[in-house]
Amino acid sequence: MKQVCIILGFTAAIITTIFAILPISNLAIFPAIAAFIFGLLAFYLSKKAGQVKKIIQFTFLLTIISLSVSIYKAIFIKVEVADTEELIIKEDESKQEAIDELETLDLEDIDIE
Amino acid sequence: MRALFLLIVLVFCIENSAQNNAIGSAEKLVFSASYNMSGVLTDLAEVTMETSNVKTSKATLLRLKITAATYSKWDNFFKIRDLYESYVNPSNLVPYLYKRDINEGGYTKTMKYTFDPKTNTVKSVQTRRNGPEENKNLTIQANTKDIVSALYNLRLIDYNSMAVGSKKTVTILFDRKEFKGQLTYLGKETITTAIGKKECYKLAIGSSQTNVLQGTNSNFLWFTADANKIPVYGKFKIPVGTGELKIKSVSGLKN
Repeated sequence: MKQVCIILGFTAAIITTIFAILPISNLAIFPAIAAFIFGLLAFYLSKKAGQVKKIIQFTFLLTIISLSVSIYKAIFIKVEVADTEELIIKEDESKQEAIDELETLDLEDIDIE
Repeated sequence: MRALFLLIVLVFCIENSAQNNAIGSAEKLVFSASYNMSGVLTDLAEVTMETSNVKTSKATLLRLKITAATYSKWDNFFKIRDLYESYVNPSNLVPYLYKRDINEGGYTKTMKYTFDPKTNTVKSVQTRRNGPEENKNLTIQANTKDIVSALYNLRLIDYNSMAVGSKKTVTILFDRKEFKGQLTYLGKETITTAIGKKECYKLAIGSSQTNVLQGTNSNFLWFTADANKIPVYGKFKIPVGTGELKIKSVSGLKN
């Protein structure tokens, strides 16, 4: 049981770290909660057995650091769209092509303002 | 993004072409598309809906343009730069030309439909990255619309005259196939948005012909219950969590 909790807690901490680095950093909260629960359980069981392994402390440390990164990203990193020059050029070209195409259509019979 | 688009639009009906009294020629609506998992939001992309006049030697048409661009944090993982356009009759939003140019994570595709409303035919031209140009002539139903004009046509429906629970269907041409979407009016609801507290028409959207929309009453749209009927919020069920579309800013409204 103790080993299972250690493995699950550590795995959850690793997933928290991966999420924190990726753009989905807000979702790191979910594996972080799992890491804390399994970490605490592993800590309790280990203490009962008389020996607390270093990996449990490392699990907590990793989770706390990852969560801090996530919180920092959520608060300080501005969500914005960048690199839209290509899209703007595409829009202008597309509009010009469309006008050329529309000129070839028979719109005279249609009641357009 | 294509799926999100379908989710947003996938719907509607407009058996008769209604008069345009809701959409102006200089309107700009900016939305934020996000993923919601148990209340934790992750912003994905910015969606912009813009209208403008386009003059030809014979007529002035309304250009309906929708762009979708991922936020910069996603660009290194999956960059999206999509452009959807429809050139329509400004008085009833009947489409004459539809253009789609997508770039999703390196996958590119363009599609062009040239509508002939007199004969109910469409000339389509499709190109894919490194692929040949594919031309195809299609015969469509009288009320079939492209996805962009169909989305704007939703704003021409008179929801006040609809009973709660009543349904409408519409035929949409997407990827050179026609499919039917269904819209259910669920009544009025007041919601808080980035542009203030708004009384809205709540609509459920679904389709019997595609698996893009899951369930019949799992995807919702809220339009303001005023003369402009602008979409302010959308909620779409996806396999894990929900997708959301929230209004960020509005300008150039007709009314």
